[in-house]
This record gives sequence, C-alpha cells and structure tokens, in this order.
Amino acid sequence: MHGLLPCGDAVAAAVEPPHSLARVVDSLAHLLPAQGPISIFIHHNTLHAYEDLPFETAVETAAAELGREPYLSEARYRDKLASGRIRARDVAELIDEQLGVRAAEQVAGVPRGDLWRAIALHGVPSASGRELAWVLAETDALTRFRADVPASARSAFADLRDSSDPEGERGECRNVRRLWRACIAAAGRALPSPPPAAPQPVRHHDWLQIVRGIDIDAWIHPPLIRFLAGYLDQGIAHWAMPDRALGLHRCFLEIYGAPLASQCGAWARTLPSIAAEDRAAQRRPLESLAHSLHVLGVSEGETAAYLAAEILALRGWAGIVRQIEERPDRVPARSVDATLGDYLAVRLLLGRAALEYAVRQTGTGSTPADLRIRLCREFSPASPPTVEERAWPLFHLAQLCGIEAALVDRWTVGDIAALETELSEMDHIRRRRLLHQAFERTIRHRLYDALIQHAPRPAATTPAFQAVFCLDEREESFRRHLEEADSACETFSTAGFFGVAMYHQGVVDAHPRPLCPAAIRPEHYVAEIEPGADRLVRRTRHLHRRATGFLGYNVHIGSRLPVRGALLMATLGWLALVPLILRVVFPWLTSRWVRARDTTIVPSTRLQLDRDERQPPAGAYTGFTVAEQAAIVRRLLEDVGLNGRLSPLVLVVGHGSISLNNPHESAHDCGACGGGRGGPNARAFAQMANDLRVRTRLASQGVIVDDDTWFVGAQRNTCNNEVTFFDEDLVPLSRQADFARAKSAVDAARRNEAHERCRRFDVPRWYPPLAALAHVEGRAADLAQPRPEYGHATNAFCVIGRRTRTRGLFLDRRAFLVSYDPELDADGAILTRIIAATGPVVAGINLEYYFSYVDPSGYGAGTKLPHNVTALLGVMDGAQSDLRTGLPWQMVEIHEPVRLAIVIEAPCHRVRDAISQTPAIERLVRHRWLWIAALDPESGSLWELRTHGFVQHNAQHALPRIEGVSAVWYEGKHGFVPPAAISGAKRAI
Amino acid sequence: MSGALAALVLTAVAAPVGLFALLGAASVAGRPLTERWTAFLTGTAMLLACTALCIAFAIHESTPAELRLLSYGAWSGSYSHAIGLEFLVDRMSLAFAALSAAILGIVAAFSNRYLHCEPGYNRYFVLLAMLSTGMLLVALAGNVEVLFVGWELVGLSSALLVGFFHERPAPVSNALRVLAIYRVSDAALLSAAVLLRHVAGSDSLELLFSGAPALSLAGLTPVKVTSIAVLIIVAVAGKSALLPFSGWLPRAMEGPTPSSAVYYGSLSIHAGCFLLLRAGPLFEQAMAARLLAGAAGASTAVFAAMATRVQSDVKSSLAYAALTQVGIIVVEIALGWSTIAFLHLSGHACFRLLQFLSAPNVLHDLHGMEDALGGRPTPARGYIEALAPRRAQLGLYLFALERGFLDSWLDRLVVAPFTTLTRRLTILDQRLCAAAAGASPAPPDDGSDGHDD
Repeated sequence: MHGLLPCGDAVAAAVEPPHSLARVVDSLAHLLPAQGPISIFIHHNTLHAYEDLPFETAVETAAAELGREPYLSEARYRDKLASGRIRARDVAELIDEQLGVRAAEQVAGVPRGDLWRAIALHGVPSASGRELAWVLAETDALTRFRADVPASARSAFADLRDSSDPEGERGECRNVRRLWRACIAAAGRALPSPPPAAPQPVRHHDWLQIVRGIDIDAWIHPPLIRFLAGYLDQGIAHWAMPDRALGLHRCFLEIYGAPLASQCGAWARTLPSIAAEDRAAQRRPLESLAHSLHVLGVSEGETAAYLAAEILALRGWAGIVRQIEERPDRVPARSVDATLGDYLAVRLLLGRAALEYAVRQTGTGSTPADLRIRLCREFSPASPPTVEERAWPLFHLAQLCGIEAALVDRWTVGDIAALETELSEMDHIRRRRLLHQAFERTIRHRLYDALIQHAPRPAATTPAFQAVFCLDEREESFRRHLEEADSACETFSTAGFFGVAMYHQGVVDAHPRPLCPAAIRPEHYVAEIEPGADRLVRRTRHLHRRATGFLGYNVHIGSRLPVRGALLMATLGWLALVPLILRVVFPWLTSRWVRARDTTIVPSTRLQLDRDERQPPAGAYTGFTVAEQAAIVRRLLEDVGLNGRLSPLVLVVGHGSISLNNPHESAHDCGACGGGRGGPNARAFAQMANDLRVRTRLASQGVIVDDDTWFVGAQRNTCNNEVTFFDEDLVPLSRQADFARAKSAVDAARRNEAHERCRRFDVPRWYPPLAALAHVEGRAADLAQPRPEYGHATNAFCVIGRRTRTRGLFLDRRAFLVSYDPELDADGAILTRIIAATGPVVAGINLEYYFSYVDPSGYGAGTKLPHNVTALLGVMDGAQSDLRTGLPWQMVEIHEPVRLAIVIEAPCHRVRDAISQTPAIERLVRHRWLWIAALDPESGSLWELRTHGFVQHNAQHALPRIEGVSAVWYEGKHGFVPPAAISGAKRAI
Repeated sequence: MSGALAALVLTAVAAPVGLFALLGAASVAGRPLTERWTAFLTGTAMLLACTALCIAFAIHESTPAELRLLSYGAWSGSYSHAIGLEFLVDRMSLAFAALSAAILGIVAAFSNRYLHCEPGYNRYFVLLAMLSTGMLLVALAGNVEVLFVGWELVGLSSALLVGFFHERPAPVSNALRVLAIYRVSDAALLSAAVLLRHVAGSDSLELLFSGAPALSLAGLTPVKVTSIAVLIIVAVAGKSALLPFSGWLPRAMEGPTPSSAVYYGSLSIHAGCFLLLRAGPLFEQAMAARLLAGAAGASTAVFAAMATRVQSDVKSSLAYAALTQVGIIVVEIALGWSTIAFLHLSGHACFRLLQFLSAPNVLHDLHGMEDALGGRPTPARGYIEALAPRRAQLGLYLFALERGFLDSWLDRLVVAPFTTLTRRLTILDQRLCAAAAGASPAPPDDGSDGHDD
C-alpha cells in the first residue's frame, strides 16, 4: 500500500505503529460520557471512570480535566448556610476533624482553626485585574467593613457602630481605608510571588486561539456534526447516508474525497485532496490517524495528551461513537459500524485541512507541523499578581479575623507568607468542598435522627393484603399513602424487575426489549399473546393497528415530501387546529378521551412464560422452566422477608412512566428494568407464583405458598399515577373481596400520592386530592409540559431493612427503600445479594442526579427548551451543538446534590462483611461515593461507617410526631420537609 | 356595517399593541408582571383579537364589497406627506389575521407551561407580543408604512428569539446572521416603498393590490411596476428563506421549541408568501417578476426537498420540510392560483405548527408507528437521484447535507470581503488619526474578527 505514494516509505517509517495507537485511543475512552442512546436511558455514575479515586479527589480532578464544576458555587452554599440547610456547627466540626492538631497552631497570631472557620463560613471574594479595579472604585469595599464580619471579630473594630450615625460612618470609612493601606503595605513588603503558571496547551487549535484568537473548531465542527449525525442516524433522515457499510472513516473519505467538498467553507480548500490522498493510500482508520499525527508534528510522547484534548472538544459525539462501538446491541434500529479510532481519524483529517488554511491565513510558517512552535514564540505570558491583587485577600482576612491595621503593620514577611499559604490552601475549591461536606452531613444526620427516634411499628399480624413495590424512592410516598388508606395492609419493596430478567415483547411491540438491570444480559424471551381472542377479532384489531400505523407513517413522511405534502397541507392542513387546541389548551380532557378510547380496545392477553423449544428472537431460550420459575419466586420471597407470612392477596407492582414531548421519557422509567417499564416483570412474577407446579416445587424446598394465596401483577405509571392490574379475570372468586378492598385502597393512594407530589409543582396551596390526580393526569398528556414528573429528583437516602422501621415515617420521597429482614438472614447471604443487586442501581441514579445538578450545562443536558432530537440517539441544543448527555435542568431543578446515605438494618459486622464481598460496592464505599450506616436491629442504635470504622451517631434533632395522615405534615409546604412520624390515623385532609 | 367593521379591526390590532405596550413598559420599568398575569393577559388579548377578526370576517362576507380601505387618520405627517393609519381588509387578509391570532393564542398557552420558571419567561412573552403586533399589522396593512412597521417587528422579535439563550455563543451568532439577512430583506421592502411613493405619489397598498386600471391611472409604467415587484420579491425571499437566502433557516432553530414553531413553522415564514399573495394583481402586470418569483419558489422547493431528506435532527428536518412547501406556495402564487395558494399557506401554517410543537416527541411517535406497523418501515426507494451515477449521488448527498453550501458561499463572497474592507478602513482611519495627531500609528487590531461567524 505504501507503494502508491512516492514518499510513502519515508512516512511509514516515521509513523507510529497503529497497535500502540489503538491502546492509546482505548485508554482515552474513559474521558467520555458513558451514556448510550437516549431511548433507553440508564442512569449511571457520570464519573464512573474516576471511581478508583476518593470522591472529593475524583470530582476535583475531573473538574480540572474536563472543565466542569466539582461542587455547587460558593454563593449557593452560602445561601444554604443562611437558610439553615447547612449548619455552621457541621462546618466547624469538619474543620476540626480535618485539621486535627494543626487547628491550634498559630498563623500570624490567629489559631489556624479560627482562620479556616472564618474563611469557610464567610469566604474571600476573588477579584483581579480590571474587576478588582472596578470593585475598589465603584463599590463600598473601601468605605465599609464587610456586612458579614463575624461577631467575634466585630469587637476588634471599635468604630463599627450604628451606620445611621454619620460620624460613625466617617470613622468606619477611615478605619477601612487605614486597614486597606496597611494590607497594601504588607503585600508590598512580602516576598515576590512566583509567576502564574503559563498555559501548556498541546493542540494546535488552543495555540491558535490563545495567540491569534482563531477558533478552528468553529470551522470544522458544523460539518463534522452533520456528518456524524447523518452517519449514525437511526431513522430521522429519509435518505440515509450512502456507503455507511464501509465504516465511519471510509465513508467519510468516499463522500468528502470529491472536489465538491472544498465548498464546505473557505478553510476546506484542501479537504478533498487530503481525503483523496488517504483513500488512495488505502489507510485504515488508525493508520490514517497515525499519518495525521505525523503530518501535524505531534511527537510520540504527546500523542495521548493531544488525542485526549481532541476527543474532549466534542465530548458528547465522541461518547456516543464509543458507546456504539462497545454496545452495538443497544443501538435502537440500524446497526452502524463506528469506532473511536474512526472518529479521531476523521476529526484530524478535517483539522488538517483547517490548519493548512489557518497557516496560510496567518502567515505562520509553511506547514501545520511548525505552527505550534511559531505561535509559542509569539505568546506573551501573564504577569505576576499586582500589589493590589495580593493585598485584596489579606484585607478580607484581616476583617474576618478582626485584625486591626496596627496589627497588620506588624506582620512580618514570614507572617504574610504563612497567611498566603493558608489562603491558597483554603482556595475556592477547598472552601466549596468543606461546605459541601457539611451540607451532606446536615442532610444525612436528619435521616439518622429520624431512624433512631422512630418507634418500630409492627404490621398487623394478619394483613388484609400485601403489596410488593419497586425500591424506587417514588414508591416511598405511594406505599405510605397505601398504608394510610388501609392500615391493615403491608408493603414490601425490592428491585423492580422482581428477579425476572427477560426480553419481553408485548402484543403490540415490534421488537422485544430487555427488562432487567443494565448489567445483566437476559437469556429468556417472554412474549405476550392473545390466546382466547376470536380469530376475526384478532384480525380486525391487527388491521386496525396496521391502518393507524400506515396512516401515521404516511402523514409523517408525506409532510416532508413536496407533492404529497402540498396535497396534504392544502386539503387537510386546517384539521391540525383540532389536536392543537385539544392537546395544548385542554390536555386533561384529551388524556381522558384518549384513555377511554384505549381501554375499549384493550385485548385480553397472557404472558407465554413456559419454556418451549422455539427459537426466540432475542436471548437464548423461550420462556422459563418450572425450576427456574420456582427459583425466581423463592428468591424474591426470601429477599423481602415474605417467606412464611403470605397474606391471601399479594399485589406485585412494577412501574414505568409515560409522558409526551419528552425525549428523556425513558429516564423516568424503572432503573432496575434498565430504563424499561416494570409491569411485565410484575405480571410474570405473579403468574409464576400462582402456578401450581411452581408452588408444588417450592413446597418441596420448604417454601410454603398457601393454596389460598393469590398474586396479582400491576404497573404504576409514576407520571399520571394510573395503576393497571394484569390478569384480573383470573383472580379466583374467593379472593374477589380482598381484591376489591385492595383496589379501593390503591385508588385512595393514587389520589393522595398525587396530592403530595403536587406540592412540588406550582399549584394553588389548597388542592383537593381528586383535583391533584386530574392535575398529574393532565401533566402526563400535555405537549407543553417540560416537567411531566420530577423523577428521581431529591433522592438522598436508601434504607435497607424491615418496613416496621420506616412505616409511618415521612421521608418526603427521598429514600430508596429495600425490604430486608435481618432476623431471617443469620449468615448475611441475603444481605450480600441485596447489596450487590441494588447498590449499583441506586448509586448510579444518585450520582447522575448529583452531577447533572452541580454542573447543569457541563455534566447535565442544560435546559430542555431548545433541545433538538438528533439521529434518534440524543439531543443537541438548538440548531447544532455537541450531543448533550446527562439530565436536563427541568428534571433536576428541585434536587439537592448529596451523596446517597445507605442505612442497613443489620449488625455492623454483617454490614461490613456484606460490603467486602461485593467489590463494586466496596470500591464505592471505600472511596466515599456513598455513605453507609448500620442500624442495629436489637438496640436501635445507628453506626456510621467512617474511615476508621463504625462511629455511633447521637440524635441532634427531635423527630416531630404528627397526628393524622401525611397531608397534615406536608400541606402548604413547598420546599423540603424534614422527616416526621405520622400516626396515619385518618382525619379530614 | 362599515363602522362596526372598522371598530372590530381596530380592536383586533389594538389588543396585541396594548399587550406589547403593557408587557414592554412593565419590563422597562424593571417590574415585570408575574407569570400568571402575563399568561392571562396574553391569552385574553389573543382571544379578543381572534374573536373580533372572526366577527369582522363574517360582516365582510355578508356585505358585497371586495376590498375595503379602513382609514383611522394620520399617525405621522409632515407638511407635504401624511402617513395614515390604514388597514386594507378583504377576505384573505381577515382570514389570515384571524388565523394568526388563533395560532398565537395557542402558542402562548403552550409557552406559558413550557417556559414556566425559565429566567427569560418575561422577555419571551414581550417578544411574542411584539410578533403578534407585527403579524396583525402585516396581515391588515393598508399602506406601505404600516406594512413596514409590522414587517420590522416580526423580524426584530424573530432575531431576538433566535438569540434567546444568549449565555451560549452559538445562538447569539446565529441570531446575528438571521438579523443580517432580514436587514437585506427590509432594505428591499423599504426601497419598494420609497419607489412607490416617488413614482406614484401614494403609499397606499390598495393601489398595488387592486390591479391594472388603478396602476396605469397612477402613471406606473411596466418598468417601474417590475422594479417594485422585484424589490418585493427580494424582501419576500429574505423573510421566507427562499433561495439564495435559505442558509439562515436551520440556524434559526436556536430558540425555545415554541418560538421555532411559531416563526419558522407557522407565521413568520409565511409572512412573505402572504405579501406576495396580496400583491398578486401587481404581479399580473409584471411578467418578468412573476417568472423570477416562480423560479425562486421552484428552485427553493427542489433544494429544500433534497435537504430535508438528509437532515438527521428533527428541527432541521422540519425546517426544510416547511421550506419545501413555502417554495411550492410561491410557485402557486406565481402561477396566479391565489385561492389554492391561500388554502395551502394556511393549512401548512397549522399543520407545521403542530409538527414543530411536538418535535421533541419524535422518539415516542416513531416508536409507536413502528409498533403499529410491526417493524421499522423501510423508506421508499426510487427517488430521482437513484438514476444518477454513484459519484453524482454522493455529490448530491453532500450538497444536501451541507445545505447547498449556501452559508459557506455567503461567508466567502459577502462576509469575508466585507470584513476585510471594514478592517482596512479601520486601519486607514487609525493611521489618519495618528497622522493628524502627529503620533506614531497605533497597532491595528488583530485579525480575529475576519473569521467572525
């Protein structure tokens, strides 16, 4: 292949061998977001790749590497301090813990602990250059003392008196100016500070931007994004990109190797020749990459850094390419072949064309290779800080610590150096870290206090019915309201796929879809069938569906074609006003109408659960054997502690979420079902547990399920609070009364839970439950609603233990609840498997919310309003942008970014053993990506796991006790509501 | 009856004007209204305007006159010229104005919930009120000045909404581009107005919209008629994104979804077509202009139909789909099929609005269709490009993917020479100043703004 080029051999000798380049490219993939196609949204830790580092180090490193925020802004934490969401006491405690013996050491006459406390609680505003000049000239920084000077420091400034007194005001002004002059003098006599580190960019782009202000990314990104979106497109474009079968790099060469490509922009003049040369040399992607690096003059040593910077320039798109490379099975429709190496090769080809143009434009050198060297010479480094810039923080420090000007005058050079060292150690990152830690501690301790003080409430000895939910924190409120509606019921929760890992294909589904946690690849395929239906009825329904689909598709396509579109618009266009007015102005009525129509044609179906020999369209087997079914049922009964105490009726309730105009719809679905809806799993579980063959086999294993007992599967739509029961017609006559009772309790819970959710939406203060239910139904059907529900927002806790511990405890939809009975698990085996199954899911959800909230436009997807669905894989901002990963602001806006606090009701040693047996969780716990505490089942004391072992927690806040139902406690409150013990006795709401 | 009609039309125009004044004044005073009040007032104003126009339409239909000029006196004037507040109503203008008011009401209801809690909520509604004012003025204008004011308000609010998210650089630079093209279009319209005044001594649109006898009475020769018509076509091409100005349309998708919907799916993009439609009688006198309009429309339709088929993001795909129909509408107007064109225009405005508003639902929709059809529908084959040889197909694809290279040509042929010129002038200016001051010349600014997007 090198024979094609006259200089081919010479180039090849200098070019790196591709296999090492492949390693480099692979190692860079961790910088990319690991979010797959948006239609199956799986919550994961945004900084998964940094889990090997302690949390604080990880977020700060990532922030520096990726240009993101590690914590909230300092101002936000100060607001929280002011509003009491952070307690100053927690900040002080943390400083003492972190400083240890260093706290008492004197720094320029002040104990270091006091110094840090003052800086952390009050902050030192940063300002430099023109900003500082403005602050000094235009604000009252030099005429008044800071308004937030702590009381301890106040006494030092004798003239800090009543501001209404003009004489005092003038005196204060004099003092402030005197202090400022003293600080200026101090900064003047201090040792010279080292010059600020010069930027060391590696990309040509960065040098061009810093030195010449030319942004070549702005040239190459638009065509690159269009090309990538077109290549990866899953069905928006009607004319698919030709030659996609050749692979990303090759396809690019085919299309952009033509002379026409030079029209892409002024910079693209050499693009066709560069692409054609690559094609003529028949380079494979990595060879092309190596060649480009060589042409650009990137040495072997800086290859990794160079490519890392290139990859980060369009992080979202590079990320989706990587995801497709790694998990081609998750691509929604068309399989496409794309690798990160391909992407980089294409990117550098475009970059080369742009650089050649830039070189010509700027007259810097003759080739891109020596561009960087020339630009480096032109670069003028930043000057060291001025005296004012150095005096400014000292000035604030003096105010915060109550140091008078006379004392400042006496500072030695050593004192000043020591103070500057403290200031640089307590830089804005460190201050935010401290405040964040204190914030988390305050929030976490409220839960600990509540759990210690809440008296366990045993359930009725013979519950009227039992219900098993998903562990999702959105079910916390639903369970509470269900128990309030019918105090004789008992609820449980577990991972919402109920142990049934399967590919499920509904009657109306075109493709099977996996319903289980993302980490599992299901082996079993389960289809929904219509066994009883009359052939004619089935046929009619089928035709009806096909006709609707055909019509919809033709309108969709027709509206985009010229002639069909013209006919459609001119004749039927006005009709669009009807759905417009109905959907936009009367969404609730429309939702009622649509649902009424849908329920009239709902077919009676069953799940085909039994194993047969047919080849499944997905997975390895069709159906489950009886032994497999028995194992699934047994495991769940053991996990939640239901074994041996089943009531005559057991509801199994999965959940999903259906909303309109919401590209992130799948993020509201069940995390334990891998971003799918858990109804089919609940239904499958109920069908298995009702099966006599399964019960017989279970009995032989010592797990007794009474003949009396009946399981009913159901699905709750967490958005509109609709609960759909499956296979109602199979409920035996003897259980009908129980079932009716359960249904009416569920109905009451639907209303009351909607009412509780509504307090977070902007609805009038007084709102009856029935209107609340209508409100959430309207939201789900509303085209204009960017917040159909709040999903997992506000999640902060996870409690693994018996319901008796949390029954009647108002946890404000913030806690994942997992049923676990420590008394039935002497050896800790059940706890171990519960932690292994649920830990990663809940941690993933919690951390994704953390990052999307902390940096909404960096880690999150920014505001939803301009989102533009691209290639059916993700969303862009507006006309064109990087692919936006993470969660949109409207989903997280009410969140509090705290790491998950998991409380496990078990003895400390068992908790420790269970964690150490699960490496994935052990790593998270060791590096503090989540907090672990043990709630002793015997004594009820709570022990938090710290670095040196378990530390007992003592209650600091009394737990409010409320007579009545939950509404009494939350009604009229809009923000966060602290935990409270709810008696549950009914009173009028 | 004419008095009632005049009162109704005045009410319909006054409602959005009052709304704009109220919201704008509250914002300027730094005390924006609450979300509830804003939404309530906007809804009421739109409902009022729509109802008044519907009644006016009924009155107009029940009485024989075809075209009526409603005059409300002069709103500005000098010793020789008075600019009157005049509205010209006929079946088409009343229907289009009523439809606009209805669409704006729907969009306001949508936006109220969609933009809830957004920091720019108030700004958005001020701009929406500005658009409403502009649209009704364009639809009902009776003289060139009223038309121009409406035209300007539509354009200005459009550009400001493209730059709604001004904390990011892309929306701002795209908004600037939209604004620049609009200025070209505005200049053409203004020239047409000046020319009309100059040669006919009148600013009345009645003259333009009423056909041959009036025109020749006013002493307009065919050449002058054609010049005015061509200027109007340039204005329309800028506003409705016809070739060669189409490049800005996909860039305008930066604003919140409802603003993209109402401007580029529904109203603003059709404002040009509507103007062309009303000026139909004028075009009957100017064959060359008709041919030009037809060519612009047809080429736009072909180009946009190609572009929409390769766009892989939903908003660009819809934008070009809308442009395809706009091109066809212009062709229909050029052919003189005004009734069909009007039905097409109004139907398209409604339908595309719905599509744009539910653009974020595309995953849901396609999934539903796929389920109903039992699999992914395979796109039909055998379009015209299949006849071309493979290399030509690739070229066509690239042409469509790169949106006809319109932006890059604009950059190279217009923007780059222009910025170079201004930079040179700046340097010259500095040198002259320096020479005048007797000092050494200051170093010129760096070349960065030469590549400003």
